[in-house]
Amino acid sequence: MEFVNPEGLRLDGRRPMEMRQLRAQIGAVAKADGSAVFEMGNTKVIAAVYGPREVQNRSQQINDQALVRCEYSMANFSTGDRRRKPKGDSTNIACENAIFGCTNHWFMFVMCFVMANESIRRRSTEISLVIRQTMEECILTNLMPRSQIDIYVQVLQADGGTRSACINAATLALADAGIPMRDLVTSCSAGFLNSTPLLDLNYVEDSAGGPDVTVGILPKLDKVTLLQMDAKLPIDTFENVMQLAVEGCKAIANYIREVSFAREYQTAGVSTWLVVHKKGIRAHIQAPTLAWLLLDFQLSSHHLKLVAYTGVATS
Amino acid sequence: MVGLSLGEKHFIQGGIDQNLRSDGRKRDAYRPISIETGVIPQANGSARIRIGATEVIASVKAELGRPNALQPDKGKVAIFVDCSPVAEPMFEGRGGEELSTELSVALQCCLLGGKSGAGAGIDLSSLIVAEGKICWDLYIDGLVISSDGNLLDALGAAIKAALSNTGIPRVQVAAGASGDEQPEVDISDEEFLQFDTSGVPVIVTLTKVGRHYIVDATSEEESQMSSAVSVSISRKGHICGLSKRGSAGLDPSVISDMISVARHISEQLINKLDSEISAAEADEDEM
Repeated sequence: MEFVNPEGLRLDGRRPMEMRQLRAQIGAVAKADGSAVFEMGNTKVIAAVYGPREVQNRSQQINDQALVRCEYSMANFSTGDRRRKPKGDSTNIACENAIFGCTNHWFMFVMCFVMANESIRRRSTEISLVIRQTMEECILTNLMPRSQIDIYVQVLQADGGTRSACINAATLALADAGIPMRDLVTSCSAGFLNSTPLLDLNYVEDSAGGPDVTVGILPKLDKVTLLQMDAKLPIDTFENVMQLAVEGCKAIANYIREVSFAREYQTAGVSTWLVVHKKGIRAHIQAPTLAWLLLDFQLSSHHLKLVAYTGVATS
Repeated sequence: MVGLSLGEKHFIQGGIDQNLRSDGRKRDAYRPISIETGVIPQANGSARIRIGATEVIASVKAELGRPNALQPDKGKVAIFVDCSPVAEPMFEGRGGEELSTELSVALQCCLLGGKSGAGAGIDLSSLIVAEGKICWDLYIDGLVISSDGNLLDALGAAIKAALSNTGIPRVQVAAGASGDEQPEVDISDEEFLQFDTSGVPVIVTLTKVGRHYIVDATSEEESQMSSAVSVSISRKGHICGLSKRGSAGLDPSVISDMISVARHISEQLINKLDSEISAAEADEDEM
């Protein structure tokens, strides 16, 4: 199949190094401590952060750092074909088995169901793990010992690159929750089809069987925190593809920074400190002093991170 | 879960007794409602509804299937609800399953009528393509994104909006198939049929807190409820389904009183929803 036509355009009309349209919105879930919706083209995910809060299961408590947890779930309607419950709806299957079990054909159909369910569950466990590890790396967990941070991501529309979109949404949600972070992690994928490196694969390109390199970086520190690739690729080509993905991550980082600042300055008129201290580290600060507010306004580029940081330092 | 102090509990109950609730509403007032349609492009129809801080998405997907042997002239509709942990950490893992099942069962009995499909809000015979052979199966999925009480009403309204947004492709059945053979079909990409949604009921939940009952309870108020009655009522004022939640017993006379109140409230709610839905569809057309 031709994924890049002779004019150099991809199936959805993009150039090889062009990303899909990004859209982000902070504060989508009213009751969460931090939340965000992140869209990359037709992929749309929503992330919510609860915490830092008391550890729910005492045996999981860590004495010198925060416990970070993550759960990834996909909506039934997120893919083209309607999918069954990923959490393994065994009762439903048993029922159908009882009704239709009489013919062999139906039995096989039911078995396919069970197997599909299993692989869906494994995939979501794997993605939860990837997101958790990536976010854990950038959160300053040592500042919040004996507490718990929950990150929940929900895929509303899946069109390739859900992993990346989830990480980007989680970053924004963590920033919205005012959780101190080393940097804003961003993620993007790239692939290699028709001997062309392609940025930000959509579902059709992703399922073409070519390599899919997903990269997550800490843009300010210039470090790679996540790197995954399936299929094989010559080393020199891999370098190009990965470089492309890193460029994509940086572009997303710029966008995320813009969005989070825009949000902060919107609320700045009321009082800046509220944004950062919204539940996250509120307990540490008794009252904002004038010096505090001035300090906040002076910080520009590392705004979010630094404000959160100083918040803890002065407490 | 909501953790409330004794003082807060008294405050909520006192407010309800005096017909002035914590957010300034009266007992029979809804929070502001906003609707967006066509939010899930890959579905046949979808809608997102916000009632205060409660937010749900409903999507309708249509697939061709075979009608049930007992009802060869009717299509099938299934309703599933999923509570995302995004809405509440409690829904993590299998934690949301109980509530999801409770909500889907309540929605099924409020919208789909009995086993025979008689009295369903959705006209099941309009889903038939070839009698006894092919019908549309509608899969209605609800997803709770943000939960601040009154999920059932919100889901009911979202499904109503999603159904009126639904376009089902026109199907041509090839003539000539005889007997048990499954006829060939041709699904049109361009022509879509709209549903008649005027019969789809709305759900009004009356939550009993203390001696009074309220509509559109927030999660704080729901934590104080003794029982709740959900009534689904069509535009004509017919009751299409009823379900009671909560363990406390209710006097039968109270229930009939609640039903008549719900009926009165449903008129305003239907008008409000209809105007929101048509505004949302107009918005979508402009885009």
